[in-house]
Amino acid sequence: MVDLSFIIGGPQGGGVESAGQITLKAFVVKGYNVLGTREYHSNIMGAHSYYHVRVSEGPVRALRLPVDLVIAIDAESVLTHINDVRSGGYIVYDADSVDVDATKIASMEPSLRNRLRRLFEGMGLKPTVGSAVKVAEERGVKTVGLPLKDLLKRVSELTGAPIASIAKTVNVIGLTAGLYLLGVDLNSVARAIELQFGGRPKIVASNVAAAKVAYEFMLKTVGSVRELPEGPHRGRVRMLASGNEVVAMAKIVGGLTFETFYPITPASDEAFYIEENKYVDLGELTKIMELEGAPIVVLQTEDEIAAINMAIGAAAAGARAATSTSGPGFSLMNEAISLAVEAEIPVVVTLWMRAGPSTGIATRTGQQDLLHAIFSGHGDTPKIVVASGDHVEAFYDAIKAFNWAEAFQTPVIHLLDKYLASTMTVLDEWDLDVSRVEISRGKRVLSHSDSYKRYELTDDGISPFAPIGTATMVVSGLEHDEYGFASEDPVDREVMVEKRLRKFETIARSIPETEKLVLHGDPDARVTLVSFGSTKQVILSALEELERDGVKANFLQLRVLSPFPSESVSKILSRADKVICVEANSLGQLAFLIRAHTGYEVKHLIQKFNARPLYDVEVVYGVKKILSEGVRRVVVSGGA
Amino acid sequence: MARRWLDYKTEAWVQWCPGCGDFGILTAVHRALAELDLDPRRVVVVGGIGCASRSVYYVKGSNFHAIHGRAIPVASGVKLANPELTVLVMGGDGDLLGIGGGHFVALGRRNIDVTVIIHDNAVYGLTKGQAGPTLPVGVKTKALPYPNVHDRVNPLILAYASGYTFIARGYAYHVNQLKDIIKAAIQHKGAAVVDILQPCPTYNDIMTKEWYEERIYYLADEDPTWDPRIRGPEDYHKIPRIIEKMVEFGDRIPLGIFYQDLTRDTLEERLERQMPGYLKAPPAVRPISINGKPPVHPFKVFKDKLIET
Repeated sequence: MVDLSFIIGGPQGGGVESAGQITLKAFVVKGYNVLGTREYHSNIMGAHSYYHVRVSEGPVRALRLPVDLVIAIDAESVLTHINDVRSGGYIVYDADSVDVDATKIASMEPSLRNRLRRLFEGMGLKPTVGSAVKVAEERGVKTVGLPLKDLLKRVSELTGAPIASIAKTVNVIGLTAGLYLLGVDLNSVARAIELQFGGRPKIVASNVAAAKVAYEFMLKTVGSVRELPEGPHRGRVRMLASGNEVVAMAKIVGGLTFETFYPITPASDEAFYIEENKYVDLGELTKIMELEGAPIVVLQTEDEIAAINMAIGAAAAGARAATSTSGPGFSLMNEAISLAVEAEIPVVVTLWMRAGPSTGIATRTGQQDLLHAIFSGHGDTPKIVVASGDHVEAFYDAIKAFNWAEAFQTPVIHLLDKYLASTMTVLDEWDLDVSRVEISRGKRVLSHSDSYKRYELTDDGISPFAPIGTATMVVSGLEHDEYGFASEDPVDREVMVEKRLRKFETIARSIPETEKLVLHGDPDARVTLVSFGSTKQVILSALEELERDGVKANFLQLRVLSPFPSESVSKILSRADKVICVEANSLGQLAFLIRAHTGYEVKHLIQKFNARPLYDVEVVYGVKKILSEGVRRVVVSGGA
Repeated sequence: MARRWLDYKTEAWVQWCPGCGDFGILTAVHRALAELDLDPRRVVVVGGIGCASRSVYYVKGSNFHAIHGRAIPVASGVKLANPELTVLVMGGDGDLLGIGGGHFVALGRRNIDVTVIIHDNAVYGLTKGQAGPTLPVGVKTKALPYPNVHDRVNPLILAYASGYTFIARGYAYHVNQLKDIIKAAIQHKGAAVVDILQPCPTYNDIMTKEWYEERIYYLADEDPTWDPRIRGPEDYHKIPRIIEKMVEFGDRIPLGIFYQDLTRDTLEERLERQMPGYLKAPPAVRPISINGKPPVHPFKVFKDKLIET
């Protein structure tokens, strides 16, 4: 069973992202499943970044540490990831960098420099790349030094281009050398390069030349290796996309007509991809309109306050409208969330969580905005919050979020995170099965009498929705009567609060329990892990590992966190002997929420808040530690 | 049959103080809409928070009462979602130039076809008379414990710098002239702003009716050849004079249409160029599904993400 993990590291702006994507494409071409994520600093050029990849024949659920291979394009990457490679694995590094001293690498975080200095001093060594390589070799890691300068010279000769203009191909030299060790053939790398730089023949040519040079060097120095067999997933068309892109696609085919955003990591790439595709051919739909493309208004606004208010205006006028943001932007949106609750506006906010508080670590992941999302907005502001566990769920949820928003005339927060945003996965046509998706617009009416009541009282709390511009009305953020006219009358007030409560009950009743939560694994297992969001596949992977080790556990994944499925959660948790919450925040937000809704106290937490993705081995470690030592809380800390 | 201004009144009790300038503005808006004979279902008044923003309840339309400072983005969303609608923003100087100042600038940059009516009384009335962004420095209105330490923003210059293509100033008690200005602003294609000087008889005891009426005059009265229209480069020579008049605010305060740029595209037109058919099938009205299903599989659309294995 092929199951490979590797890391490609280098300076930001040095082609690490392209290198990562090329490796993913090479393995997809070869017939494998892949998962790859990008870890990077909030920096344009120079700081360390890396791509972390896992490849398998079967489903790839989670990234894994330690990896089989580290490809270090620069000195900082060798030193940063020195402990991330398993014994028996490989490090490919720049042979010209052996004398580089960690304490002299300006771009390296000072704390890391100090940790490395102490580590090597303790062994009586200087903190250099050479020492790192030596230490790695001592613990059974095989290392390959690439004479990058010479190899670049060779690429220059081969292409006839000056070194300066092909210097960027070091990333491809590195990745090809690395993939060589994993048995990937040159043709697959060349195909991947073509896919990556398609339409730019010069760039393709120089990178293919770089791959050739690297491949020949490896063949000469390392000798032949066992070729990676073709994987089982061949002979069909597959899709490689990030979470940002999958959500963008879902919105577009799911009927989005109006999207606003203010630039913020890690949300902007979603809006960018929508904008790129704001006028695409949507088949039959485009034909009906007799247009070349289906127009979507995508607007970068002056701030997040404008982003949501503009989406609210568009939604009130009848557009299928959304905005996307991250924690800081969502903070700015809070007042308007409250408006959308009071004025009953169907608006979707796609919230890509990142590591806070405040700016925190802008480009890193976390699950710290669960309570923020649920309790956003002043006043009593019930709303729908749905969290996706992976790319496929994110696809369907993004469309469902619109349906719910319009059916219930309420804001819907679609909760995702940086890990999903920048993680690329491979999808098959059947993964995005739109034939099982409905597009429904609720109680939308397009013609009506002169006395339209925007907030007509109904049994289910949901009023007929006439878009602005079709009837005289007032859509109001002030407490109002049925027509929307401002009213401070105590009876009107109570009636309207009750109406909105009734609506929330309707929501709770209408969303099937199966869409609110999923119990993965054996329902009778004595250990239950509880989590939400992007930890899903990591936990599923950990469950398999635990089972192999004789620990039987199941996993309660919460999908809809507001309205909260209290009864089902209560029932499931009370069956288990041990309940462990797994979440990427420090306060135990999910545990808090569970206790608030059910009274059940989750006594054990596996937490991660170093702003790096969660790894399956960490969950396994945490569960075992809790089971054997009975500790309340295990903080896991993997990732560079 | 053409509509009368009474057709734009609503049943709601108009809850402004007696003598408030808002009444004049409201009447001028009613009359402008009537003369333009606009279907109230197709007229959208968006308000923020404050006395002025209550206009959403007093003008018959398909209206939206938003939150403090955010009327412009809500109005922009409505207009871009359905460009056929006539969209007005009515709010105070505090709402539009204070808390909402960033959005005021952005609307000018975008040149969306929205008319912004500033009820400019230089005070925050509903919260009992604090200094508004157009209150001059050193002025101590009766609710202020000390004279104002902020200087005033000039709404016209701000509008010009932001890119509004129609900039005018009116006076709340001159209902007829004001009606004509508002009409011209609505008819203008692009972002229009009408700054309306408006005494607040309750809280602004300095900039009173008398104070204004000693100072105001109409541009066209002073200079019968006054023509604010910029039709092309041949009219650029007018701009220094226009700015000179916009800056004038002291012993004499000019009123009228200062500036109307006919050369610039609206955002709607820019979008139409990028997406031919946008105006015909805008976000609020275009179909989104086929028989209640997504129209197409993502693999048929997002081909840049596909890999043949």
